[in-house]
Amino acid sequence: MMRCRKCATRLNLDFGVNFQAKIYVELVWTRAMMPVASHLMIHAIAMLEIKNLHARVEDKEILRGINLSVNAGEVHAIMGPNGSGKSTLASVIAGKSGYEVTEGSVEINGKDLLDLAPEERAAAGVFLAFQYPVEIPGVTNTYFLRAALNNVRKNRGEPELSMTEFMKHIKSKVQLMEMDNSLLSRSVNEGFSGGEKKRNEIFQMAVLEPTLAILDETDSGLDIDALKTVANGVNTLRSTDRAIVVVTHYQRLLNYIVPDFVHILMDGRIVKSGGKELALELEERGYGFIEEELAAKA
Amino acid sequence: MIDLKSGNHSLVENFELMKGLLATYGPDSFQVLRDRAFRNFSEFGIPTTKDEEFKYLSLRALEEGHFKPAYGATIDRFQVEQTIVGQVDAITVTFVNGEHAPELSSAHILPAGVFIGSIKDGLAVYEDKIVQHIGEIASLKNKLGTSNDERFVHLNTAYLSEGAFIYIPEGVSLERPIHLLFLTSANHGPLVSHPRTLIVLEENSDAKVLETYLGLDGVYFTNAVTEVSVGPNAILEHTKFQQEQADSVHIANISVNQAENSIYTSNNINFGGKIARNDVNVWLDGEHTETWLNGTSVGLGHQAIDNHTRIDHAKPNCNSFEVYKAILGGHAIGVFNGKIFVYEDAQKTDAKQTNQALLLSRTATINTKPQLEIFADDVKCTHGATVGQLREESVFYLQSRGIPKAEAEALLVYAFAAEVLLKITIPGVREILEKVLFEKLSTTQELPEFVET
Repeated sequence: MMRCRKCATRLNLDFGVNFQAKIYVELVWTRAMMPVASHLMIHAIAMLEIKNLHARVEDKEILRGINLSVNAGEVHAIMGPNGSGKSTLASVIAGKSGYEVTEGSVEINGKDLLDLAPEERAAAGVFLAFQYPVEIPGVTNTYFLRAALNNVRKNRGEPELSMTEFMKHIKSKVQLMEMDNSLLSRSVNEGFSGGEKKRNEIFQMAVLEPTLAILDETDSGLDIDALKTVANGVNTLRSTDRAIVVVTHYQRLLNYIVPDFVHILMDGRIVKSGGKELALELEERGYGFIEEELAAKA
Repeated sequence: MIDLKSGNHSLVENFELMKGLLATYGPDSFQVLRDRAFRNFSEFGIPTTKDEEFKYLSLRALEEGHFKPAYGATIDRFQVEQTIVGQVDAITVTFVNGEHAPELSSAHILPAGVFIGSIKDGLAVYEDKIVQHIGEIASLKNKLGTSNDERFVHLNTAYLSEGAFIYIPEGVSLERPIHLLFLTSANHGPLVSHPRTLIVLEENSDAKVLETYLGLDGVYFTNAVTEVSVGPNAILEHTKFQQEQADSVHIANISVNQAENSIYTSNNINFGGKIARNDVNVWLDGEHTETWLNGTSVGLGHQAIDNHTRIDHAKPNCNSFEVYKAILGGHAIGVFNGKIFVYEDAQKTDAKQTNQALLLSRTATINTKPQLEIFADDVKCTHGATVGQLREESVFYLQSRGIPKAEAEALLVYAFAAEVLLKITIPGVREILEKVLFEKLSTTQELPEFVET
């Protein structure tokens, strides 16, 4: 039995009955290695590959050359002071209008994202948990989620779910997020508290099962209990075929969603990357020490 | 004003043609009503935009059109069943081009005393009730207001013939909804019909009525009047669904008298027609009544949809709630005029009026005018009018979850209308309206034109 060094997935090598027969060895060896090879291919192409991304809002350049590579199974945290471009990065990946990409590329599983409409990005597996979820009066949460899920399924070539099948599908996710059932029949986010809105975002993520989830300041406005519930939901969704990018100002959320990598974004660039300990260092010393480091280098 | 006496307008000429036939319907008092109404209409003629009540609605199509009287058209049952409302489970009375079509109506065993059919047939049973109410409820005589305009009611009354009649006697609660279906087929040239409806609910009765105006083909003019008497403690849910043909003119007056402790709900849904005008007038004739006026209209292309409502708070302690929504795209024109009169005696009146418009294009127009005239000093009256567009952040939110842009926009438009559609409780009707709404929105290219950032 083998395990992938990167993500610890078990890779089965099935040599079958003919292993002893010398004449077949070459052929059988190749066949047996197929799942391993294809698994390694996934790692060879990063799930999210951002190269030299420049983006502006009107005349103001906000992203000034972002490079970031996120593999399946990894959780990356992007931290930075206010105005550093964190939310812009999240919005550009999700395809929000009002941002002009002037240079660079964003790819998901080797596919160019920037030419796709937001709904096509969702179909490609991108999910953005909004910093400020939008209220949609008149559309119930259930109707909205089913329409979303069925569109995503259609794009994956899977059959649409009937109302009964849909309710079955979401039952465990409702429990996972400790959602009050009444929230399902209410209009999307309308009159939800700050915590309920954020919980609803992660609930949507659980239902839609994206391959790349970007959480934009999901911790803002949450009390400690809600934070734990939300973090628990996200942790449950961690898997070897899913990448999660957590955008946050504070280290607090990272106590609960422990990242594999931490990147520090300042002035539209990633200025420092490291492991989870970088977040702790940042918490202790503030963003000032990075600035000093940068100044010393210059 | 257009002088009809000098020109020979078809709406006047028809009267001479049909006089003999009309005289065969109803008692002599009907003839008196008809003659008086005809004189009134001929005197004032078709309104123009110089008339206060028609300031934003051009009726040139009526002025320039030539409309034949309608009679003799037949439609087979299969064709009716194939229409969007063909499967509504209700006690159905069908009219084709204004004429009663018993062969297209449904037969039901009704509780004793209940009458659902034509005015002509109803006269045999309830002549006193019909004579008492007809022409009276729709009259603005002795009511407040300086610019009252009743000429289309007069035009309708001049041609008073078969009509629809619903009578619910004291204490009867009718579970099954009633469907008055007015079909128009004008494939032999422009025609005019004047549907007349009288609905009488006696004390402690309860009913649900759906009035559908559905165009099948051709160009035509429908001029409808519906008079409603809601007795003491009675409850009526009254939904009107207008889906006329694209080049037709629909003018309708719904006039209601409410007795003490009654509850009346009007759901006024307008999707069709080139020109659609509704006057919904409610006279509160007893204390402790509750009135709900809900309206949704969708106008695209060059449609003009004009809703005038008036509530006469003539007695104290009455509540009225009004929500009118308009969705307008293309070059459509919407008009809302909401009058609330609070009479001197009507203390403790609580009236709330809301009017909201959603504009889908830069070239769509809404003219909105709340008009509150209050002569009592201890009342609560509020009104609010908003005009808006689809919000870009809402569209993006839905898109980011995988919902295509066009579907997201249609969903948001539907959500805007939903508040009103949700008020309709007749089984299956809301689903029909949703379907018509989505189809109407999906056939237009106008949606993405105008989104608020």
